[in-house]
Amino acid sequence: MRVMSDESAREAVGDYRYGFHDPENATIRFDKGLSEQVVRDISELKNEPEWMTDIRVKAYRRFMEMPMPTWGNSEMLNQIDFEAVTYFLRSSDRTERDWEEVPEDIKNTFDRLGIPEAEQKWLGGVTAQYESEAVYHSIREDLEEQGVIFLDMDSGLKEYPEIVKEYFGTVIPASDNKFSALNTAVWSGGSFIYVPKGVHVEMPVQAYFRINAKNMGQFERTLIIADEGSSLQYVEGCTAPTYSTESLHSAVVELIAMKGAKIRYSTVQNWSANVYNLVTKRGVAYDDATIEWVDGNIGSKLTMKYPAVLLKGEGAHAEVISVAYAGKGQHQDAGAKVHHLAPNTTSNILSKSISKNGGRSTYRGILQVTPKSHGCRSKVICDALMLDPDSQSDTYPTMEVGNASADLEHEASVSKVSNDQLFYLMSRGHTEEEAMGMIVNGFFEPFTRELPMEYAVELNRLLELEMEGAIG
Amino acid sequence: MMNYPQMPLPSRSDSLWRYTSWKKIHPGKVDEIPKSDPINFSMGEKSQIDDSDEIARAFIHSISPVCKKLSIADETVEIRLESNGDLSSGELLVESKGNSTLTIRIMGDCKWTGLRILGEVTGKLSVALINEISPNSNLLLCEDWIVNRDSILELATLSIGGNLNKSDMRIELKSKGSDLRCGIASNGNAKRNDDHHIEIQHSVGYTTSSLVMHASCDGSSRSIGTGMLKICDGADGSDAGQVFRNLLLSEKARAEAIPGLEVLADDVKAAHGAASAPVDKEQIFYLTSRGLSPQESSSLIVEGFLMDAFRHVKNAHVLTDLRNGLLNHLDRLIAG
Repeated sequence: MRVMSDESAREAVGDYRYGFHDPENATIRFDKGLSEQVVRDISELKNEPEWMTDIRVKAYRRFMEMPMPTWGNSEMLNQIDFEAVTYFLRSSDRTERDWEEVPEDIKNTFDRLGIPEAEQKWLGGVTAQYESEAVYHSIREDLEEQGVIFLDMDSGLKEYPEIVKEYFGTVIPASDNKFSALNTAVWSGGSFIYVPKGVHVEMPVQAYFRINAKNMGQFERTLIIADEGSSLQYVEGCTAPTYSTESLHSAVVELIAMKGAKIRYSTVQNWSANVYNLVTKRGVAYDDATIEWVDGNIGSKLTMKYPAVLLKGEGAHAEVISVAYAGKGQHQDAGAKVHHLAPNTTSNILSKSISKNGGRSTYRGILQVTPKSHGCRSKVICDALMLDPDSQSDTYPTMEVGNASADLEHEASVSKVSNDQLFYLMSRGHTEEEAMGMIVNGFFEPFTRELPMEYAVELNRLLELEMEGAIG
Repeated sequence: MMNYPQMPLPSRSDSLWRYTSWKKIHPGKVDEIPKSDPINFSMGEKSQIDDSDEIARAFIHSISPVCKKLSIADETVEIRLESNGDLSSGELLVESKGNSTLTIRIMGDCKWTGLRILGEVTGKLSVALINEISPNSNLLLCEDWIVNRDSILELATLSIGGNLNKSDMRIELKSKGSDLRCGIASNGNAKRNDDHHIEIQHSVGYTTSSLVMHASCDGSSRSIGTGMLKICDGADGSDAGQVFRNLLLSEKARAEAIPGLEVLADDVKAAHGAASAPVDKEQIFYLTSRGLSPQESSSLIVEGFLMDAFRHVKNAHVLTDLRNGLLNHLDRLIAG
């Protein structure tokens, strides 16, 4: 993996507020590099059943066979040195349910990120993952009493192996792509959630992922199953410290929404600008079920993430709202994929991106209607805003229509901030910088209004920080 | 420059080759250079065209026994390209000056036809390209156009012939004030596969382009439209738009669209859209209530839909040629 000087690293990440790091106090740290033995060692260390070890080993072999993607930003992808990554690092011997029991240094990190405060105020449950595994986990008692299972993925496998075995890898098989194969081989941590029939989890549950160590690879695996008629809102946040070397985050998230169920999965990704963020997210929605991806990408060096929904049951609905902010040296390659595999399914995709200081934002998406899917409707809107002449914006939408009754629309536009808007705001007494910040916040407003309030406020603050110095 | 047989096969992750792969459109084994008969050009002088780095262009260049040059200035010209036999190919060089009109008709019953067109426009050129090749034929068509300073290219393509068609059109707006108005109408029936890839490059600023592709698909036909609109670094003041619309007429018809956009300048207008929908039943009802049969009604709606792809084309001669070509084709379909 490419090594930058500390000075150029600081320049690359700018004012990234989560760029601090704590001393590494690992209880177990694997040597850098990937081999079949590393995969087997991770599985053995976690005391996993043999079937999971087999899945991991097969996935590792598949990963080794598969070539690097030739589409997207191949230049950045080919800079990844898989041998320079640490694939497993355990920071705490167990997952605590009491915040006070969490090791002091880790607790300090999450305190600085505001996690415990948020939990007390407005969350139904929290998982905090530090490096490879969850260090803290809690769920409200009333949800537990209703049969809601909310565990970190390692504990989920230990306590509910039959459920995990039934659903693991069914939405995203290891062979789906090179990075899903890598995740399946070395996964560690993530969330496992099961919501029983008819249970509505009113308060969102949250997972927070933090990479602290240098050259760390974080490969969490999340599996969420919402049984018939249930609903859940899941919120995910991610940060990492600023180092001169690069880290790899390659997660897999599988959602299963049974008949009439609803899952909303919100992400605010704010990795530092030295992290490769290569994530596969996909959900399956059965009859009358709804899956919503609310996806914000602010940080990272390269993000490649296309949340997908397979609409498998009649009347199912998908909603994808995504925003991306590409600053200096960043490439946000994000988008959405919706496959209408059943009749009378509907979907909406709204994508907004901003490029600044030579950053590159890309929308890449697929909208597919299969021949037997009658009466499907979908609308896709992609808007891109470019804040200077050095930036780049690309759109690659794909529309595949196999049924004559489908009614699909796609529209996209690329523009700069209108001088009229700036003039209007400045004539009301705002500086040019403030006016620009207000326009950017307004541009992202369809996304922020879908987030829980605390996240929306935080996102607006982050954007204001990113916008500092945007003028002149 | 690498010659054809040494070139690596293109990846299907490239949207140009995503749906109609090079293996599918190639007339034989991909590592061979087959013997080709010449396309019969109705006019033009003998000429030469350079080889290309792009696989389809390099292939046509390597097998073509004939290359014709057409120089036009302030005139209206119709050129017929007829291909016969098993495999036929050729290259055409167009140089246009002043205010000119050109109709290109691709005809014949050759099993596989390869055609490469290179054109340069200074002034204003309106082109009607009508593919009315036999329904059993395969066609590989590569076009490269350059539009010079303050020049206008109206490029209207009516694609109604052939069984398997692959068209790769690239237009460069090379100097300030250049303007492209591109319209493509494709009518699919039976098992027709009609694949159009259009790349428009705004190399400098203050250039404008519009692309409209309308495809109607009946039977088990398939229409593919992939676009790539590139606005280069520094091309501020560019104004570009592309729209892909599909009208699906039968259960087994399919349509794919990828309207791509790459923008490296910030002071531009760039937009694209795509839509796909069935025939409006109310429109059919209205027309049948006026005494038309359902087939005639559908045909009239298709005519209106496809001709709308040429909304930016102003040249009346070109529009007449296109309308006549489309009406004759639709009449033949109704007559069976």
